[in-house]
Amino acid sequence: MAVQESAAQLSMTLKVQEYPTLKVPYETLNKRFRAAQKNIDRETSHVTMVVAELEKTLSSCPAVDSVVSLLDGVVEKLSVLKRKAVESIQAEDESAKLCKRRIEHLKEHSSDQPAAASLWKRKRMDRMMVEHLLRCGYYNTAVKLARQSGIETRTEALQPGRGEPAGRGPAGHGHAGLPARHTHLPLQGPAGPGPVEDANPAVPVRQLPAAPAGEQLRVHPHPAGGPLGHQDSCYKEDGSSRSPDCPVCSRSLNKLAQPLPMAHCANSRLVCKISGDVMNENNPPMMLPNGYVYGYNSLLSIRQDDKVVCPRTKEVFHFSQAEKVYIM
Amino acid sequence: MSKSLTVICVKAEATMEPCESVEREVDKVLQKFLTYGQHCEQSLEELLRYVGQLRAELASAALQGTPLSATLSLVMSQCCRKIKDTVQKLASDHKDIHSSVSRVGKAIDRNFDSEVCGVVSDAVWDSREKQQQTLQMAIVEHLYQQGMLSVAEELCQESTLNVDLDFKQPFLELNRILEALHKHDLGPALEWAISHRQRLLELNSSLEFKLHRLYFIHLLAGGPDKQLEALSYARHFQPFARLHQREIQVMMGSLVYLRLGLEKSPYCHLLDTSHWAEICETFTRDACSLLGLSVESPLSVSFASGCVALPVLMNIKAVIEQRQCTGVWSHKDELPIEIELGMKCWYHSVFACPILRQQTSDSNPPIKLICGHVISRDALNKLINGGKLKCPYCPMEQNPADGKRIIF
Repeated sequence: MAVQESAAQLSMTLKVQEYPTLKVPYETLNKRFRAAQKNIDRETSHVTMVVAELEKTLSSCPAVDSVVSLLDGVVEKLSVLKRKAVESIQAEDESAKLCKRRIEHLKEHSSDQPAAASLWKRKRMDRMMVEHLLRCGYYNTAVKLARQSGIETRTEALQPGRGEPAGRGPAGHGHAGLPARHTHLPLQGPAGPGPVEDANPAVPVRQLPAAPAGEQLRVHPHPAGGPLGHQDSCYKEDGSSRSPDCPVCSRSLNKLAQPLPMAHCANSRLVCKISGDVMNENNPPMMLPNGYVYGYNSLLSIRQDDKVVCPRTKEVFHFSQAEKVYIM
Repeated sequence: MSKSLTVICVKAEATMEPCESVEREVDKVLQKFLTYGQHCEQSLEELLRYVGQLRAELASAALQGTPLSATLSLVMSQCCRKIKDTVQKLASDHKDIHSSVSRVGKAIDRNFDSEVCGVVSDAVWDSREKQQQTLQMAIVEHLYQQGMLSVAEELCQESTLNVDLDFKQPFLELNRILEALHKHDLGPALEWAISHRQRLLELNSSLEFKLHRLYFIHLLAGGPDKQLEALSYARHFQPFARLHQREIQVMMGSLVYLRLGLEKSPYCHLLDTSHWAEICETFTRDACSLLGLSVESPLSVSFASGCVALPVLMNIKAVIEQRQCTGVWSHKDELPIEIELGMKCWYHSVFACPILRQQTSDSNPPIKLICGHVISRDALNKLINGGKLKCPYCPMEQNPADGKRIIF
């Protein structure tokens, strides 16, 4: 990969990027916990009620038959309690396990194996793209991408909100429950999976926070226009300084990056136009009489019969005419 | 100014990794759910059994027509109490887990930043729609380059974007060939390499030879029956005899062990599966060079850079706000701090004038003095004294007009 990211850098980025990745399953966990508590409380009170009735009857010398039937009622309520309790605990346990799985996935970023680390980086990009696509309302694309990238399990319960009150809306990793202080960006687009309001009204705050992911995909190319050395060379009118590897020189990014701030470079770094290699003391920069500068090693490699042809102006010079320049 | 800001930005690291911090809390919650779940099931089952027993006793009493005995009545009351106590305890035990659950949320809040604070000023684009469209285009291009053709098609449909065929064409072809390579089918790749032979040779690429070589090895793996076929295929090596003599010798030598089985011979390394992965990489690299494309899509490089830049810029923003010197970063011309991306990202030359510490540009180009030192034109103008100029690095006096504009 072109951009070098040390483990420390990855960790720092994780801190600012992955809040929703963990917070959303946490909110689900919280929600399910509360639902479980409600269920248990409700069934417990039912049991208590029936038992109270039984106690009352007992104190008034009842017939055995009535006691038996009341006891049957108690047994029934206890069974219902047992069933509901088991179900609810299963549900909350599931969401806790989802939290755990996501953390384990995030931990992969610091894996010792380089293959695992670069796979993680690729998946990170795909994750951000899926979230961005969802926010734009391109639901089908998002699902396809998630499937192909193998991150489908992460988007768990990604369901269409097409007019049906889905249990969870397409913001599947349900940004539900995130506090309203996040400014919201409602899903747009007729192509999108139906208006957000279609989702289950029982789930609070179904609006998407604009900040993280989707914004990030837009934010990333922004600072990137910066650090990638977005500079005059990428915007020369005649396109003479384009480099095929430079992202800012590529068609669409060129347009996107135009209004962005330039990168800040306090120190010179020179790159030979012929070879793409760095020009430094091992490959000193040499100026031809027409003012164009190339690396010494590159000039050697294009030298023919003691002459060199400037690749940019096609002028022919003697190899000895190249002068060393000193860059401090 | 920028130097001191850089130093400040080396923040004190958290004592525990953010992920591990949250993981610890989640593990505790999982453990509690496990214990509670088991306990809940057990006690309820026990209760049900107990009640069941009592019911049986009562039922037999009912059959016999005997009234409720005092003992039974007492036992029943006790049973009632027990039921109430058990279920109420179950409810309150579950409530106790709440604090552990909320600790998970707190750990997340503590260790992760909930807002990507306005590092970028949105005002920078005049039309959000246009920006969205251009971004969508970049995504489509990225998807094509990554070989996710169906996803790209889907996006074009959903976003009603039109991508011209001549943009798509090379990617479609590349992907067709790569898919064949993944299935160990060398045919399409060979076809492509042969038709682009001239340009590949100009690039100093040995792709065609490597493909022939892999095919030869593939034949060898077929065992002694393939010997004749392999031998006759070897004539394809002829044009590469000069450049790849050694490798050809190795392969011809391996024929000797064909009967014994190559795996047991000193040539077993030829059968390594890594060759296939390598050929895919070589092909991608050479094909992209030929097409004037970068191997990694611009969007992914851009995104990765953003990932590196984002936390740094956020830190700076926080420091600026804390020290109330908001004028420092105007968002418009330049980032306030240098972002380290590694040498592979040096696509263009950057010359920073050592005197004025500013990047040179078309309006302020680098000038080479007679002594060979290079400074920016603005710096040169500043150094003119009485019509003459003294180089700041060597005491050579010279005429300002003798400075020559250079281009990197």
